Amino acid sequence: MMASFLLPVFEWMESTPVGQAIQHSASLIALLESIHLIGLTLLLGSILMVDLTLLGFGIGRAPASRIASELRGWIAAGLAIMLVSGPLLLTSEATRCYKNPAFWTKMALLAIAVIFHFTVHRKVVSEEPPAPRYGAALTACLSLGLWTSVALAGKAIAILQSS
Amino acid sequence: MFLLSICQWLDSTRLNAAMRMSTWFFPTFDVIHTLGIVLVAGTIMLVDLRLLGLALRSEPVASVVERIVPWTLRGFSLMFVTGALLFSSEAVKLYHSPAFRIKLVLLALAGLNALIFHRTIYRDVANWDQTAAVPIRARLTGLLSLAFWIAIIAAGRAIAYGSGYDLG
Repeated sequence: MMASFLLPVFEWMESTPVGQAIQHSASLIALLESIHLIGLTLLLGSILMVDLTLLGFGIGRAPASRIASELRGWIAAGLAIMLVSGPLLLTSEATRCYKNPAFWTKMALLAIAVIFHFTVHRKVVSEEPPAPRYGAALTACLSLGLWTSVALAGKAIAILQSS
Repeated sequence: MFLLSICQWLDSTRLNAAMRMSTWFFPTFDVIHTLGIVLVAGTIMLVDLRLLGLALRSEPVASVVERIVPWTLRGFSLMFVTGALLFSSEAVKLYHSPAFRIKLVLLALAGLNALIFHRTIYRDVANWDQTAAVPIRARLTGLLSLAFWIAIIAAGRAIAYGSGYDLG
């Protein structure tokens, strides 16, 4: 599926005590999944508000730059929660994920979404005076589309894993 | 037992048989249901965090509520419709699931919490919105709402372990 030099890394992850412990506890997996989903909720909710502001459906007349700086901490918190719980979940079924195309799709989309968020999105959001309307709207749509795709690919991992 | 007979009836319908036969029905509606919950909880959490003074502090509570709550309601209708369909595809099983019962109770409590807020303290938001501190009762609403929605997400995950496809 992917560069085969990664397979031993995935096998090792699964063999670690952490991977073993999570793998053998359904309640631990459910707990980690809940935490992962709460992180996603925080992340998507905050990004949605910033993007709605870019699209002109913001809070009052607050500019996108202000909403974005007020929510920056919560976006980071959501991302951090996901980046801790995600790899922990991965250790419990690393070799199965390795063979799962949805997993690699999600990783690729995640990389694109993160890069887009911290480069183009951040620049457009903080522009003074605000970016031209169509530019801002396009950025918002791309941002929402990318993050939703990451979430959908995440759900697809579970669906393909069970089939 | 009345509820159980409704569940048994749901399980015996043709719609139910069609849903169970379909390989794409469950995953598709599960995905939409999850996105709906993320929309509901993600937006309501921002309102809660605002009430607690932890996010969007430069924006008045009233404008945060006015602009964000419509999205919460949109998410809720998505979640409700897909949730009802998912439920009717395995009604009897869910009737016996403790996680499912807990989730319904939590949803009712979250709704009640929001309703009480809107009918009482939020009515004179104009009087306290410009003051430095959000009233303690409004902050309590925010805290309860955060706790309810976190618990609802966790209960939903717990249901998944006993239904549809096995994630473990």
